[in-house]
Amino acid sequence: MAVAKLEQLEQSVASDPSMLTGAYPTEDWMDVPAEFYSGNFAFPAKVNIVEYLDSQKGLHFPNAREWSPEQDDWKLPEDWKDIILNGLKERLDKFRSLKIFMDCCVRCGACADKCHFYLGTGDPKNMPVLRAELLRSVYRNDFTLGGKILGKMAGNREMTIGVLKEWFMYSYQCTECRRCSVFCPYGIDTAEVTIIMRELLHLVGVGINWILEPVSNSNRTGNHMGLQPHTFKDNVEFLTDDIESLTGVKIEPTFNRKGAEILFITPSADVFAEPGLYTAMGYLILFEHLGLDYTWSTYASEGGNFGLFTNNESMKKLNAKMYAEAERLGVRYILGGECGHMWRVLHQYMDTMNGPADFLEVPKSPITGTVFQNCASTKMVHVSEFTADLIRHNKLKLDKSRNDYLTVTYHDSCNTARAMGLMEEPRYILKHVVNNFHEMPENTIREQTFCCGSGTGLNTDEIMELRMRSGLPRANAVKYVEDKHGVNMLSCVCAIDRATLTSLMNYWNPNVGVSGITELVGNAIVLDGETRGELDEGLRTMVF
Amino acid sequence: MKLAQVLNSKGDKIIDKWVTFTLKTYQSSGFFIKERDAFANPVGGQVRSILTQLLPLLLEGRGKDSYRLPLQHLMRIRAVQDFTPSQAIAPLNAVKHIVRESLGGAQRVRELESELYDFEFAVDLAVLSAFDLYTECRHQLHEIRVAELKTGTSILTDSPCPSKKLQAVEKISK
Ligand code: SF4
Ligand code: SF4
Repeated sequence: MAVAKLEQLEQSVASDPSMLTGAYPTEDWMDVPAEFYSGNFAFPAKVNIVEYLDSQKGLHFPNAREWSPEQDDWKLPEDWKDIILNGLKERLDKFRSLKIFMDCCVRCGACADKCHFYLGTGDPKNMPVLRAELLRSVYRNDFTLGGKILGKMAGNREMTIGVLKEWFMYSYQCTECRRCSVFCPYGIDTAEVTIIMRELLHLVGVGINWILEPVSNSNRTGNHMGLQPHTFKDNVEFLTDDIESLTGVKIEPTFNRKGAEILFITPSADVFAEPGLYTAMGYLILFEHLGLDYTWSTYASEGGNFGLFTNNESMKKLNAKMYAEAERLGVRYILGGECGHMWRVLHQYMDTMNGPADFLEVPKSPITGTVFQNCASTKMVHVSEFTADLIRHNKLKLDKSRNDYLTVTYHDSCNTARAMGLMEEPRYILKHVVNNFHEMPENTIREQTFCCGSGTGLNTDEIMELRMRSGLPRANAVKYVEDKHGVNMLSCVCAIDRATLTSLMNYWNPNVGVSGITELVGNAIVLDGETRGELDEGLRTMVF
Repeated sequence: MKLAQVLNSKGDKIIDKWVTFTLKTYQSSGFFIKERDAFANPVGGQVRSILTQLLPLLLEGRGKDSYRLPLQHLMRIRAVQDFTPSQAIAPLNAVKHIVRESLGGAQRVRELESELYDFEFAVDLAVLSAFDLYTECRHQLHEIRVAELKTGTSILTDSPCPSKKLQAVEKISK
């Protein structure tokens, strides 16, 4: 009797429509359609945003319209299928990597269980190998010999509306974090497959607002938020007021100053939203301490590049803006703040798109004389490399006991760790600015780090549950060090992480805060002439 | 023989079955059940560790408050995984059936009836607790949404672009 009841109970969980994909998958993955309902998709881009982008030189964003993924009719152009297939052909010719990634997967499965979306949802289509298969199946059908003849038996399929909808669902359930690529014996980068699927979707007007609006704002005013120059300047100045009330030192940064030695560019979130603000205060304190000859720009006021999550053309254009400003101001080189994908674009794509930046000089620290040869082509050095070098040469006056109220761990942001190999510098800095530091388990850090779950423009609140479940692998490792060592601060070098991990921690580990590395540096720096009292919460202390 | 003794000797099996039942509610149950590294498989790892903590508490009938702590994390996980509320909680009920089944026969069940009654009552309390926790998690999600709006991240998408605003002002002044 008991057994029968147990089975009934099991049925009631397993065979009631699971909201995840619409049905419990008893069929082959290809036969399970993607189903959209409020909460499992990010809102489509607004008409005026798409129209604006389409009107811009060098950009192509057709088919602006009102539409919803929930409706059957996505109002695609009549010849949508040709557009997609031609777009794919063009990209196969243009990007050799894509062709290789389409051809050389042996379906060994090594990547299958490495994706945080898969680990958080259990949805097979979130296995990287299947995610890429969504595109590969069409590629094989239309672009390989005998593809059509072998057909479904060989896992090939026609491009249909259903397939397109699946692309939309699963290319926006991938944060392009590249964790899967670390485990692939062939180095297949599924993130790049996602990038292409998103690009193709834009060709028929399928894109999300949370990405296209920042792209449009950055194109117009220079930053995601659409802050105009005076607002940007005001915000930075508010931070200097805060620093003055905390330390007694008044800092006077400059903006758009021609002839400065260095142009400093960071994500606009750092001068605008908590907890990034404290990291920006850290930059200001650090540069003041060094007497650095640098300037902020109110035009290149964004390090982030949502173009990376959109298409090649937008990425190129937004990246070029930073260099145009560096040239206009006549600086020697660029110093970049704590950002994730800004550095991915820099290290992986900048050189082919806009480089080499020969009008600039190879970054050389004016304090230590170190030449950063790793940036010989991009001419842009990371603030953590810059700071680690300063510490190594003993150029910073630090009192690390000021961070004793914290027990810190370090989250390797996907982009800085896997796309630029920045893993030692932040740890080296932390060792010198905090007394209590603990690493998360080995298979969750460095190259194997887990994504925050909301990267690539997925940090929008309408898909909060999705973000929380895909962030579970990260949060799970934080919970471990919180329970074991009392960790109460998750530090990182990425502005998106600072925003998204804050929500992630609020949900999973509410006693753990989130900070940038330079916030902790700034808090430990002993400024000349400071009149700083006890600050219980460092730069976050409220003083009146 | 007491229920606790019976279950002590079969505890591991019961937990295994309970974990399997719970993880079977996921499409990728095979992987979730098999992979034992708790960091490579957070859902499987957490479910196993939580249910292992919970079973003795239920057998001792410790009361609703004591079930909250282990259940909290389980509900946090299931509250964001697109289960309906009843789907999220149902695996807790399963332990009643699994325990009865493990006793091996109607005779045994009759002998231990009153103890089983207590145990099942404990499970009922845990289920009620889980329901509260599930609702708290959902509420927490809404609060996090609001917090994001307040910290300004929403301005990313919800503010009109300044030059658009200017155009509007110009239009009006014309
Ligand atoms: S890039 Fe990251 S999110 Fe995308 S499939 Fe690979 S592991 Fe998953
Ligand atoms: S690890 Fe590489 S080759 Fe193996 S299934 Fe994944 S993508 Fe294909």
